[in-house]
Amino acid sequence: MSAGKTGLKAEDRKAIGITLGNSNSSIAYLKEDNVEVIANEDGDRQIPTVLSYVDGDEYYGQQAKAFLVRQPKQTVAYFRDFLGKEFKDIDPTHNHASVHPEDANGAVSFTLKEKAEEDAAPSTLSVSEITSRYLRRLVTAASDYRGEKVTSAVITVPTNFSEKQKSALVEAAAAADLEVLQMISEPVSAILAYNAKPEVANVDKIVVVADLGGTRSDVAVVAQRGGLYTILATEHDYEFAGYALDKVLIDHFAKEFIKKHSIDPREDARSLAKLKLEAEQTKKALSLGNNASFSIESLAQGIDFQSTINRLRYETVGRTVLGGFTRLVESVIKKAGLDPLDVDEVILSGGTSHTPRIAHNLRAIFPESTSILAPSTSANAINPSELAVRGAALQASLIEGREAEEIEQATHPAVTTVPHLTNAIGVVSLGTDGEEIFTPIIAPETSVPARRTVRFDAPQQGGDVLIKIAEGNTHIKVIKPEPKVKSTNATVEDAKDSDDDSEDEDSEEEEEEKREKVWKVGSTLAEAAVRGTKSGAKVEVTIIIGADLSVKVECREVGGKGGVRGTI
Amino acid sequence: MTATITISRALPALPQGWEAEKDFKKVGKISGTTERTIEPVGPLFLSHAERLIHKRTFSEHDR
Ligand SMILES: Nc1ncnc2c1ncn2[C@@H]1O[C@H](COP(=O)(O)OP(=O)(O)OP(=O)(O)O)[C@@H](O)[C@H]1O
Ligand SMILES: [Mg+2]
Repeated sequence: MSAGKTGLKAEDRKAIGITLGNSNSSIAYLKEDNVEVIANEDGDRQIPTVLSYVDGDEYYGQQAKAFLVRQPKQTVAYFRDFLGKEFKDIDPTHNHASVHPEDANGAVSFTLKEKAEEDAAPSTLSVSEITSRYLRRLVTAASDYRGEKVTSAVITVPTNFSEKQKSALVEAAAAADLEVLQMISEPVSAILAYNAKPEVANVDKIVVVADLGGTRSDVAVVAQRGGLYTILATEHDYEFAGYALDKVLIDHFAKEFIKKHSIDPREDARSLAKLKLEAEQTKKALSLGNNASFSIESLAQGIDFQSTINRLRYETVGRTVLGGFTRLVESVIKKAGLDPLDVDEVILSGGTSHTPRIAHNLRAIFPESTSILAPSTSANAINPSELAVRGAALQASLIEGREAEEIEQATHPAVTTVPHLTNAIGVVSLGTDGEEIFTPIIAPETSVPARRTVRFDAPQQGGDVLIKIAEGNTHIKVIKPEPKVKSTNATVEDAKDSDDDSEDEDSEEEEEEKREKVWKVGSTLAEAAVRGTKSGAKVEVTIIIGADLSVKVECREVGGKGGVRGTI
Repeated sequence: MTATITISRALPALPQGWEAEKDFKKVGKISGTTERTIEPVGPLFLSHAERLIHKRTFSEHDR
């Protein structure tokens, strides 16, 4: 999967992380242990994935995106997903307002005039060629920034990028003189960015990554176990994404314009292109503030347009689209066979994740214990637009000093595809009332081999201790509330409250049922005795699962000698 | 080396008459697994890969 065929020596590499999106791309590298997301010569860290040829000059990024208004037939946009695909398999929905993809001998291609001369023949450029040229611009920007030539990269790709698409990307990069060290999946890259602090890297948790982009939304449920990441389920959606929110604003303001001038600006291609660019700006402003302006010079038939919108209005007109993201997240959790109560962390990644309403809606479907990592719900959130590229930069620095064969060997299915435990493995301990409680030591969905160590209190008075190793699993306990006796002498205030706000009452009713995750002890695997513990002692239990599913148990009193060992 | 977690819960006392050779009793087996793919990223994955490729145990790898 990794290329590494450039004959480059490991020590001569200069590697960066790259995200190549349909809408935006980013570049980053590790500088003195910190990830630096690189601003290109225009000062952009989110660089539009757009390439444009105007008067014989090549433009990329923000400058090329601006040409969507005046030079749409010379501007190529939204092409990443076409790499490695046949023409009949692509969805050109987003290419209506730029160069249309066409079939040139089976290759998805774009025809435009590269040269300035009036009579110059148009060129037909394959999507690989376009990608290659675009990557070259990214690499040049990164090299200029670092002041040394960048040779290699870790590039992020969606989880449903096929092998064919991956090879096409490697080839396109090679043509741009860029070695692809590794392609890593976008959601896991976002997790890496959050786990850059070593102390958080090793906590076992279930993470949902919602990567909400411009033309697609990709959600993944990931089990993080002992610093290893396994994707349990994914969902890809092409309906609920940033463009749909742009459209909400386009339609809203177009209607306003029609009311005033009886002209529908959406019917003219150039007016529509202007609407789209301004709608995106307004949408971004609404992520930060409560009000945003919308103004376009000469929107249609020479008429200027100026208006404003507040966040509440936006969230009202965009309600259906905004709600779609929540349902998407719910569906993938279900697909993984999990419940929102099983989710420890939700990482909101991708540009659209800046939208406060999306994060707030998600907050509402998870228990309080779940962290929702988005700018509007967490002070510790990392810029969602930078997450994937930060992870890629970390991975690039991790492996840039390794030989290509070594990377290839480590990413081989013989190393990556292994059994994962269905049930947790743990120890039967005592609750506050002396009842048996299952305490998981190795979580479900942990890959083998695995090793974990846990310390428990010995019985208060000391003495001989039973270590019962068992499997365990969770179920959701629904606690129905005691039927509320409506007090007959309800205060006047109460009555007024419920009259006022029937919605409040609804939510109160919903809250009455409590759902809780509880562990259930399953079948016993082994029993062991640790004898003669001192009063107040601690007992340490280590469980090691072998690749052959053997279970090795080691128990001992902390600070004590010897201990008990056994293997199942 | 993975970190040791301390759980503030007590273990039960050994029941009267419990006995086993070397104080260890096998009872059952792991009941189920699913074949899944670990994402080849992050520092701890590299340790995992090294252990597998060189057929090292955890404690051999720690040394
Ligand atoms: N502050 C913001 N508030 C709301 N939306 C934003 C904000 N910043 C960027 N976006 C939106 O995020 C989307 C781009 O997301 P991202 O940069 O993750 O692109 P991408 O991964 O290339 O997208 P895709 O491949 O899905 O087209 C655009 O629709 C953009 O308008
Ligand atoms: Mg994306």
